[in-house]
Amino acid sequence: MAKVLRFRFTRGPQLKYLSHLDVLRVFERALRRSQLPVEYTQGFNPRMRIVFGLPMSTGLTSEAEYADIVLQKDVTCDDFVSILNENMPAGMEILEAVELTGQDNIMKQIEAALYSIIIETDKSEDEINSMISEIFSQDELKVMKRTKRGVRPVNIRPLIYKLEAVEKGNNVFELIAFVSAGLDNNLRADLLMEAIIEKYDFNVKILSIHRKALYTKDSNGWKDPFEVSDGERCNN
Amino acid sequence: MRINLSDDILLNVKKPAKYTGNEWNMVRKNPEDVDVRFAFCFPDDYEIGMSHLGMKILYHILNKREDTYCERVFAPWTDMEEKLRKNNIPLFSLETYTPLSEFDMVGFTLQYEMSYTNILNMLDLGGIPVLAKDRKDKMPFVLAGGPCAVNPEPLADFIDFFVIGEGEEVTNEIIDEYKVWKSSGESREEFLIRIAKIEGIYVPGFYDVDYNEDGTVKSITPNREGVPSRVKRRIIEDLDKVDFPEDIIVPYVGTVHDRIMLEIFRGCIRGCRFCQAGFIYRPLRERSYEKLLDIAKKSVEKTGYEEISLVSLSTSDYSKLPELCNNLIEYTEEEKVNLSLPSLRLDNFSLQLMEKASKVRKSGLTFAPEAGSQRLRDVINKGITEEDLFNSVKIAVAGGWNSVKLYFMMGLPTETMEDVEAIGELGIKLLDQCRDIPNGKSLKITLSTSCFVPKPFTPFQWEPMDEMEKLMEKQLHLKNTIRKHRKITYNYHDAKLSMLEAVLARGDRRTGQVLYTAWKKGCKFDGWAEFFDFNKWMEAFEECGLDPEFYANRRRSFSEVLPWDHINIGVTKRFLQKECEKAYKGEVTRNCSENCSFCGAQGYKTGICFSEQRSDQKNG
Ligand code: SF4
Repeated sequence: MAKVLRFRFTRGPQLKYLSHLDVLRVFERALRRSQLPVEYTQGFNPRMRIVFGLPMSTGLTSEAEYADIVLQKDVTCDDFVSILNENMPAGMEILEAVELTGQDNIMKQIEAALYSIIIETDKSEDEINSMISEIFSQDELKVMKRTKRGVRPVNIRPLIYKLEAVEKGNNVFELIAFVSAGLDNNLRADLLMEAIIEKYDFNVKILSIHRKALYTKDSNGWKDPFEVSDGERCNN
Repeated sequence: MRINLSDDILLNVKKPAKYTGNEWNMVRKNPEDVDVRFAFCFPDDYEIGMSHLGMKILYHILNKREDTYCERVFAPWTDMEEKLRKNNIPLFSLETYTPLSEFDMVGFTLQYEMSYTNILNMLDLGGIPVLAKDRKDKMPFVLAGGPCAVNPEPLADFIDFFVIGEGEEVTNEIIDEYKVWKSSGESREEFLIRIAKIEGIYVPGFYDVDYNEDGTVKSITPNREGVPSRVKRRIIEDLDKVDFPEDIIVPYVGTVHDRIMLEIFRGCIRGCRFCQAGFIYRPLRERSYEKLLDIAKKSVEKTGYEEISLVSLSTSDYSKLPELCNNLIEYTEEEKVNLSLPSLRLDNFSLQLMEKASKVRKSGLTFAPEAGSQRLRDVINKGITEEDLFNSVKIAVAGGWNSVKLYFMMGLPTETMEDVEAIGELGIKLLDQCRDIPNGKSLKITLSTSCFVPKPFTPFQWEPMDEMEKLMEKQLHLKNTIRKHRKITYNYHDAKLSMLEAVLARGDRRTGQVLYTAWKKGCKFDGWAEFFDFNKWMEAFEECGLDPEFYANRRRSFSEVLPWDHINIGVTKRFLQKECEKAYKGEVTRNCSENCSFCGAQGYKTGICFSEQRSDQKNG
């Protein structure tokens, strides 16, 4: 009996230099080492049936990456998490898994992301807060973005849902950004920063970008990708 | 000292994961707990170096020892080098981020001549004096091995000692001796004296080279007691008895050969006269197929790799190929692992194998006739006829392949313009031959020519290389021969790069100065077209008062002392000369499995030379 699991994993600082493609390879090889009964696609060039929530760009750390995987046989979430973890490189850890029944895959479900962006700047807290208010008071925030039709200006303002600054001392601030994500209308945290720096001549050094959460959405609003399932859930 | 790399650096270079280590199966040890720290250096980019089997083998052999920690170092790409130099960060190992200068031993592998400038650059970046004579007590010993070490002379000024031949056993002997020496409190030179006595070790500083007035080498003689006058290449007698790595490092970034490499045998029975590998690894020695199957399975389990590739100079010559492949295919199918079978001679059996083994797209298939005419193929002892080629390609085309790539060499000894034309004609004939078979009309052919570079320890080691102008003229001529045929594409190698390779391949000790000067001028990554700067090299020759043509384009007499005569590869000079003379007469030599020619490698008393499989043995 095939079984679909959704799992959440982290990417620590030691593995943040990987590209998305590198991460896919890490999983394929870890899964093969684990000898977990992964289902393969049919056809000429069989591939593991695994789908990732949102690509992770180089430089990003995360505590909220998701993937859906199809297994040939019944494996408990507990076993899945611990067996796979034994085969994952240090810096990438499976935190929890849940059984899925009949949902869309994770890639289609993701609609928003929460980032923690640590910056260093000579601006004061007030200055940053007034800049944020100004962003939200306007309808447009343009930035040059590489698209299929070349580099062109896009308006990212509608994709920013929330932006907050928390002072950490020594000119260091944490920006908490809640933005649109997923297959359509994905706003990357580094592009958001680029837009702000450009528009407000914001003298800033980005120290780190960390993904804190991904969200799906239904008629009741934002949801944790695990909440859409009513299956068995387990933590590591 | 542990190097710290900031994000400012890592997020501003291409593929930063090449510099951060931490891959699956990377060996972790506490450097404080070992006696010997060994830096294995590959003088090229990570993606090339991590594809290299020899490094995996020695990494494994050295790290199996509790008293030794072997770490990896690669040439940083130019963007990274710039950042290292700007921030005064020395070149470091991937395992513990230790600067190169803090190791006990720094070993380079010499896979191709055009990586030599990178060796100088890496030493410099690592804070180690580039010239061996400038290294003081407490500084690392710099050693080098690998195929190009058979002519170590161009690197003699930079390397403390060379390891000639296969490394599995001799490396352990070196480490053992190092430990004895380290606790003895002796001088740096005394260590070199100790290891010069180990078979296969060449300490260039212990040999003097004298030159004749015409610039040729007069003599190469040891300048102290107890040093052998000729250094004998080391080999492994029984491959089944040495460890083969199963827990190989699995890189994060894609590398050139990102897969399990299963070395099925060493050496080659064929003796193609241009091919250095065909002589310097003799005699052929196989791993048993039972052992190979075991290695394959354990490797998949320990790495999770999705592909296994057989590695050897000529897969079809493996004596138990059907047994090996049938068993492997059964396993790989079950595990959804791809199996790739390179350098197969194509016949019905191998085609079936390929069909079964790899789910590859039926796009490209390659053949290497090496010369266009039968006459020239006889000269180079490439035992392949036009018939063979036509049959193979027909089988492939009927089997669904629709593009074929043929490799040739240009500038082979005795080559005429007719031979050059014959390359084009071969392509044209091939199209004709395939026209009437199913699927044949869609066949596309690529002809690819490299420039023949004479190499030490081949029957052509005395031959001049064609002048660059001549090579370019031949390339143009071939282009014209096939101009009207749209189904044939032609591409060719840069003659300038090959010319330089020819100088370094057969260079004497003086060419080291050129290397040094070229590096000072900024030459590095010479094997990469985007960095190769021919003019800088020519300036370097000029400044050193050396003529590249003396090394590349001069015919050497059989009686000349060659710069590598003090290296004993096993195959005798007498045999090579005989082969050269047979080449001029267009006489072929039968391969080792048909008939032994007593090339000298029988002295190793192992492998094919004493095998029951040899037909001349069987028939008495
Ligand atoms: S001694 Fe004979 S069998 Fe052995 S490598 Fe030489 S030619 Fe081949």
